[in-house]
Amino acid sequence: MTYEWVIETKELTKSYGPHVALDSLSINVPKGATGLLGPNGAGKSTFFKTILGLIQATSGEGKVLGHDIRTEGLDIRSKIGYMPEYEALDNDMDAIHQVRYSGELLGMNPVVAMARAHTAMEYVGLGELRYRPISSFSTGMKQATKLACAIIHDPQLIIADEPSNGLDATARDSMLTTLYNMVHSGGRSVLMSSHLMEDVERVCDSMVLLHKGKLAAQGRIEDLKAIDREIEIHVWGSADELEQAMSQEGLEVRREGRIMRIKHDGEHTTHRILKCAAHTGAQIRRMHEYEASLEDLFIVIMERFGYGVKSSEDLLASPAEARRVDAPEHMGGSGS
Amino acid sequence: MSEDDVPIEASTPVTGQSRMDAAWGSESDSVASVARPSTQTGQVFEQVYKPWDGTLNPRWMRNWAIFRHHLLGIFRKGHRPWGVPTKLFLIFVFIASMTDVALTLLFAILGEPGLYELWGVGRNNLYAHVLGFFPRNMLFYPLVAALLVGGVISEDRSNGTSALYFSRPINRFDYVGMKYLAVASIQALIILGTLMLYYFADILSMGRGWAWIIDTFPMFLTTMFCGVLLIVTYTSIGLALSSVSRGKFFPGIALLAIILGTKTLAAIVEGLFDKSILYLISPYDSIAHVGQALIGANMMYDHPWVWSLVSVLAFNAISLYVLSVRVSSMEVTRE
Repeated sequence: MTYEWVIETKELTKSYGPHVALDSLSINVPKGATGLLGPNGAGKSTFFKTILGLIQATSGEGKVLGHDIRTEGLDIRSKIGYMPEYEALDNDMDAIHQVRYSGELLGMNPVVAMARAHTAMEYVGLGELRYRPISSFSTGMKQATKLACAIIHDPQLIIADEPSNGLDATARDSMLTTLYNMVHSGGRSVLMSSHLMEDVERVCDSMVLLHKGKLAAQGRIEDLKAIDREIEIHVWGSADELEQAMSQEGLEVRREGRIMRIKHDGEHTTHRILKCAAHTGAQIRRMHEYEASLEDLFIVIMERFGYGVKSSEDLLASPAEARRVDAPEHMGGSGS
Repeated sequence: MSEDDVPIEASTPVTGQSRMDAAWGSESDSVASVARPSTQTGQVFEQVYKPWDGTLNPRWMRNWAIFRHHLLGIFRKGHRPWGVPTKLFLIFVFIASMTDVALTLLFAILGEPGLYELWGVGRNNLYAHVLGFFPRNMLFYPLVAALLVGGVISEDRSNGTSALYFSRPINRFDYVGMKYLAVASIQALIILGTLMLYYFADILSMGRGWAWIIDTFPMFLTTMFCGVLLIVTYTSIGLALSSVSRGKFFPGIALLAIILGTKTLAAIVEGLFDKSILYLISPYDSIAHVGQALIGANMMYDHPWVWSLVSVLAFNAISLYVLSVRVSSMEVTRE
């Protein structure tokens, strides 16, 4: 079956009485790794339940791997691997048998399920520990076991809910590497939710940002980061004159002492900055592209969303206004 | 001044060392150091993704997996981990439930017709094997049901293993249905299994002919039916209690309290007022009354047995309603 998007929703809405958990979400998740970001209560878990066909959407439609979420929930759950956020393992069982049972629940016969359980445990790095009871596992090992349960049938799409939640640095690194490898070496798609921007940035190429049940932004992380692309310069002497000259040149400048950030405005921006510096006699000691981290972007988008942007198109169309929100007050920002 | 000491002048390059010197002084014995790994770590584990292109079996296979997981857990490692006390008690009850089998064989071998009559297959003995109060329905079967149903659903809620089921292509009817069947089957192995052994032991030991078998078989089947009614009722009530709980202690204790508590209350009322009507609130007595009527054993209650039948149906209907409502609203996460 061919499909353009692994997950596709149109005007998807889910209400619990008067409370709207998902508000007309139109999301397209491409193949590869996608991060689902949003603060608590953004609707991430409701979105997962809805696309898995576990709860019925109030209105709108959606498809996962080409299957309708309203009528083909069982088919969807056969083809995806779901790794829940919270504990979902029987602590009194040995890890290998828990993973085998999760395969049997998908319809694998016991012998095949056991063979695949060995493969999956080996893949997540617990090959030597597979006969140990889960109760003796650390949080990282339990997360890895949950991942093994999710990938036992080699699903086309892995949905991981907060996969690095509660893990120490080593376990987190291992989990993220595994997810990354599943996409880049295994050719599978991953949709992972996380509160940690760094995790999403490390594994994913695309992201979907939810806020209060609404879509705040979606697209390639690289493209989304471009909305806040600036050039940072460290100036020695005649900083006021340089700022003034650049403003007259038509460049958007924000300044804090000797450090200035100039909005990237085409490929000649650097040349225009240097021309202004030569004209005013200011020394530019350092110049580099300033790339906002995903965390910066998250804050900008969240703040911007609060100012009344209703779609990601609006957000991407007005980056200058979006940038102002995290600038100090004396630079024309909100001072936040 | 030692060779390493460099005076801080305007032309001195700004390095971490000179900054530390400026901040803390440059005494020759104060050396800044950073811990570094002493050895180079190696890479032993190679992560290679191995795809699988097998076919997943249909619904019946998934349901069989749930049933098998719970049933085989009694006998083998690697399936549902029933507690050791539960397993030991099941063995004890299984052996204790075969006392009539052992005595039938013993007296048949000894050739004592008088003693054999006491233990051999008959209406009252068949009834007693399944529905006798002491010791079977006071000490054995309700406790077996309590131990089995206690954590079957409640532990999925508390451990979060409900997510393991519901994120798979398993609907809630199949989930609860297979758990119900598995728990009921374990009880059936003990109650109905030993009943069958009892009946066949009598045939073998006394060398019964077809005429005796044709004569007693309907009675045996009716007793089997009463046993099924007992197992279904205990399981329905127990699983309903398990579905409203998050531990295994409450459902077990509550099941025992309902079965034995209502019986005790009704017995007290009967003793005081000579009225058996209150036995309708006792699941055990309602089934026992229906069993007495169907098997043809001595009747011990004053009210019509149809009332007891209605009571049994009501117990099951209410329990199954609670069970279905609770399971359909179960979260796909730890609760």
